[in-house]
Amino acid sequence: MRRMQTRQRLIVYALMALVMIFFLGPILWFILLAFRHPSEAYTLPPQLFFEPYLGNFSETFVDPGNNAPQLVSSVIVSTGATLLSLPFALAAAYALSRFAMRGKEFIMNWYISLLIAPPIVFVIPYFIVMSRIGWAGAYRAMIVTLQTLAIPFSVWLLKSFMDEVPLDLEEAAWVDGANRLAAFFRIIIPLALPGIIVTSMFTFVFSWNNVLFPLALSKQSTTTLPVGTISFFASTGVYWGHIAATAVVAMLPPMIIFLLLGRYVVRGLTFGAVKG
Amino acid sequence: MPSRYTFQRRLPWLLLAPSVIVLLALILYPLGFALRNSFWFWNLQTSPVPLYHSGFDNYRMVFQVTPFAEALKNTLLLAGIGTFAQFWFGMGIALLLHTHLRGMGLMRALLIMPTTLAPVVAGFLFRYLLEPKGGLLPWLLEGVGFPVPPQGFLGNAGTALFSIGLVDTWQWTPFFAIVLYAGLLSISEEVLEAALVDGASAWRLFWSIALPLLRPIAAFLVMIRFMQLFNSFDLVYVLTSGGPGTASRTLSFNLYREGLVNYNIGLTAAMTWLVVIIVSVIINLYLFFIYRKREW
Repeated sequence: MRRMQTRQRLIVYALMALVMIFFLGPILWFILLAFRHPSEAYTLPPQLFFEPYLGNFSETFVDPGNNAPQLVSSVIVSTGATLLSLPFALAAAYALSRFAMRGKEFIMNWYISLLIAPPIVFVIPYFIVMSRIGWAGAYRAMIVTLQTLAIPFSVWLLKSFMDEVPLDLEEAAWVDGANRLAAFFRIIIPLALPGIIVTSMFTFVFSWNNVLFPLALSKQSTTTLPVGTISFFASTGVYWGHIAATAVVAMLPPMIIFLLLGRYVVRGLTFGAVKG
Repeated sequence: MPSRYTFQRRLPWLLLAPSVIVLLALILYPLGFALRNSFWFWNLQTSPVPLYHSGFDNYRMVFQVTPFAEALKNTLLLAGIGTFAQFWFGMGIALLLHTHLRGMGLMRALLIMPTTLAPVVAGFLFRYLLEPKGGLLPWLLEGVGFPVPPQGFLGNAGTALFSIGLVDTWQWTPFFAIVLYAGLLSISEEVLEAALVDGASAWRLFWSIALPLLRPIAAFLVMIRFMQLFNSFDLVYVLTSGGPGTASRTLSFNLYREGLVNYNIGLTAAMTWLVVIIVSVIINLYLFFIYRKREW
């Protein structure tokens, strides 16, 4: 590659600075809002330096802490959906990665068509059937229905990781007398473990950020944090301090997970289609 | 051994079966439910069960009672323009990242943050920024003499849908940027060097070599993002609730309003099937024209 001249470099940096301000500015501005006293939410011209106020967090999560149970619900639903999807997805991903089958492309496309179908189409019938079978508002209603997204996503991503486990190693285990099942647990699972962890982290984030399923299928005591944030739009007026505090808590886990994922972000966001 | 051979042949299908069965149950039930009830009059507020057979009334009512055509137009505009803007904006950023100047690695890692947010949270960020009285953006824009509608950008019929698209573009441009950047990295240096030796300009290099090589990735990204935008619900819900009036209603929000606010289950079921048909047509057209050749 040719070396860039100083002037060109300055232009690139200036453009990147604009890009970073545009994409990170709104997030930082909102985090500041969470630490502002409610009376200062609309102070203009904007004040960058002010006395931080923690009341928004303590009122939402400690006393009276109406949002603390929602945080627990979010953890239960996201963890549950992730764990439930794994055995189904591991089996399917192994089949798609290791066997020559007719219709493989069709099956892969079928999984992805679920990922890009409009979820609202399914949610309204779920809403009715869940109340009929007595699951209305239960965690399991959300955990099971989230599988429409969790399983197809995990199958795709896990397959891309299993494709990278060399077949030789598995064959060596067969020669040593291990059957397929033993080889699966002794070779594939340990070698694909980083991929399994990465997949689980993505499934967790997607479930965590999902709003439609809990909005339709939860009750007040089981609703998740993002839905709780919406409920602040009460008739009494928008209470920005509380919205910001809960939204900041809701955005932290996905942000931290994405920073940890590092170079796997590209692969996860493209369901394994782009290696990154 | 024939039995063992048969087992080996069936094994992949046995392994696929649990996920396929669970997913089929989770999809076919709602679709069947919707198909049956689309021919029945049923409002959950007046009756816990369908009331009477109503032929194709529900399908007619979708167009008469709900702004279905307007919602379809809004949805296609949002998805089409949004995907286009995000792709090219993201491509520009990918090219900036590809200069490999010092600090680009860190910037790339931070750039993805908007994409990690729940769409509702992104919605709140911008509702706060766009608040007509006290919001930072109207204040800044008025400061430089840009006309701000008195009801704010989200409350104005001419700008509401555009604002939703802007927020989605804010959230998903980084996704295009980092994936296209990964795509650019995968283009071999030799190909680029060879073109440079042949005297190709940077412009030519991009259009004639980089872009065609990125085509498979780009086709995949565009399909995913177009459909995600097509399904937009969370952002619409938080930013405008489809308003003012029905100016920014999308198909998903229209379904939500009829189903989970008005509890008009029969009518919603009919609309569900109309949406399913529209989505199938879009996906199949796409697969047929753009996506035909791909190896998994």
